[in-house]
Amino acid sequence: MVNDLKIAGTRKSLGKSLLYTLPMFLITFLFITGGRPNFSDPSSAIAVLTAFLLVNVLYFLMHFTGKTDRYRAVLFIIFALSLSYTLIHNMLEVRNSMSFSQADILECKIPFCHLVIPMMILPAVFTKSIIFPGSILNGFANISTMIVLWLVATLVLGRGFCSWGCFYGGWDDGFSRFGKKPLIKRIDGLWKWMPFAVLMMVMLTAALSMMPTYCSWICPFKAVTEFEQVTSVESATKAGIFLSLFGGLVIALPIMTKKRTQCSFLCPLGAINTLSNKITPFMIKIDKNACNECFKCVETCPLYALTRDDIKEGKVSMFCSKCGKCVDACSKNAIHYGIKGVPAGTLKNFSRNLFLFVSFLFMAIFSAGSIIASFQGLLKLIF
Amino acid sequence: MTDSLILGLSSGSACLATCGMVMFPYLMAGSAGVRRIAIDLSLFLLTRFVVYFFLATIAWYFGQALFSNPVVRNIVPGILYIVFAIMLVRYSISKNSNRDCPVKIVKTVNNHKLLPILLGLVNSLGFCPALFLILTKGAAEKTLVHSYIAFLAFFIGSSIWFIPLPLAGKIRKKEVLTTIGILATGLAGVIFMIKGLTNLIGGLING
Repeated sequence: MVNDLKIAGTRKSLGKSLLYTLPMFLITFLFITGGRPNFSDPSSAIAVLTAFLLVNVLYFLMHFTGKTDRYRAVLFIIFALSLSYTLIHNMLEVRNSMSFSQADILECKIPFCHLVIPMMILPAVFTKSIIFPGSILNGFANISTMIVLWLVATLVLGRGFCSWGCFYGGWDDGFSRFGKKPLIKRIDGLWKWMPFAVLMMVMLTAALSMMPTYCSWICPFKAVTEFEQVTSVESATKAGIFLSLFGGLVIALPIMTKKRTQCSFLCPLGAINTLSNKITPFMIKIDKNACNECFKCVETCPLYALTRDDIKEGKVSMFCSKCGKCVDACSKNAIHYGIKGVPAGTLKNFSRNLFLFVSFLFMAIFSAGSIIASFQGLLKLIF
Repeated sequence: MTDSLILGLSSGSACLATCGMVMFPYLMAGSAGVRRIAIDLSLFLLTRFVVYFFLATIAWYFGQALFSNPVVRNIVPGILYIVFAIMLVRYSISKNSNRDCPVKIVKTVNNHKLLPILLGLVNSLGFCPALFLILTKGAAEKTLVHSYIAFLAFFIGSSIWFIPLPLAGKIRKKEVLTTIGILATGLAGVIFMIKGLTNLIGGLING
């Protein structure tokens, strides 16, 4: 009965859902095909068509079923897997190895990712130099494109970037969905401040050593992208750290807690995105009149962004990544997408539609390239 | 030098979190404006500097006597780094850790002119895992100058946090800053643990 009430609040009829999907359909068609679909290469055409259909079907289902996180997560996880596949595939083609050598560093051939951004700030301010050995304008994953993409997404979505734009988040999001019940139910709330401590440390160490220390020493995603060639005790230690952190924070703990532990307890960019939640126009709101304080939202939140006290006070903390898991879990439609300045409980559907359009469009365009490339790779492997 | 500065910066934040609020009333008690506060703070920092200078000298000579063998020079500090780093990490993650500040013992002193010096002395000699780590580093350095540089970096890193001490009362969300500072100290411990492991493995391989 209550679920029916909730679904009636956000789900739409077939016709309305198709109508809402139409703008996404047209824009993604333009971005994915460049406006001129090329059917000369069958494997490329199938990959493009599959990616195009995938994003639009998922977007349609979000409107048709009224569920957000369920379909967001599908694309988010595929994005993470395909990005890693594409990157590794590219590394193997170019270097015959996932590891990079000192020569690659000197020639600035290391692909740039958004996690480097916090470390670049202080050296860029004080020495006007970029401390990452990547290309500024050329090649795939160049520095300027990534910074612009991240900046725009963060200003609009706030920490929503962590659930709608980050191409690593899908890893621990995916693993957090294994199993029915969490093995570890309670983790002290002070740990959610850890990303700020990591941010402080990596910013300082990067500024003092003029090296991207997080990438060199900590980043767990080195395990699924590229890493330094193991040639010494130091590089072996680094590889050990990457693998242990990946195994612990991206695989084991998400399975045991059913939470995104890497994003919650380590990521320094997540700390910056958390602060950006203060200025973004979109937010999750709690309609106190509709809330029956069942606290299902607190249990389901993958980033420890909600506490029982928050719900009682009717506010959502700045740690929220707007993934929509709490919105899906709420049987009363009390927790909902909202717009800053608009009172909670009002314009629920309008806010959701607007947020979904912006955030999903960003994810669809951002992920399309790597999804197409990985589909093509898979097709080549199969046939 | 970088790791000493990082250790100072991170442990300084935790030190301020635990000791700052205790020292603040003593440094400020009976003070007559910014000039008095500046003098008291300078005396406090100068005392710490002098103590660290002596500790750098003692640690280095001690290290020379103990770590004469090049393999031992890697292995023993490696083990000490790991032990003290574990203590530092444990301190930062243990909710029930003793957050009492050693400077509380100067409560009984009534002479206000002597207070900043006494506070500096007790604060710099308050044996915490971070100080043990820097002592180990000073002992393992190749030259006395390197030991001085390590302690200087540690002193600068930890002192930065005390400079805005007079403004501490105005800082909002002190609990959050305290939590972040203490977690950062734990991370500094992890850095030294890795350094210790690398030293130890390197020493064992070379040995």
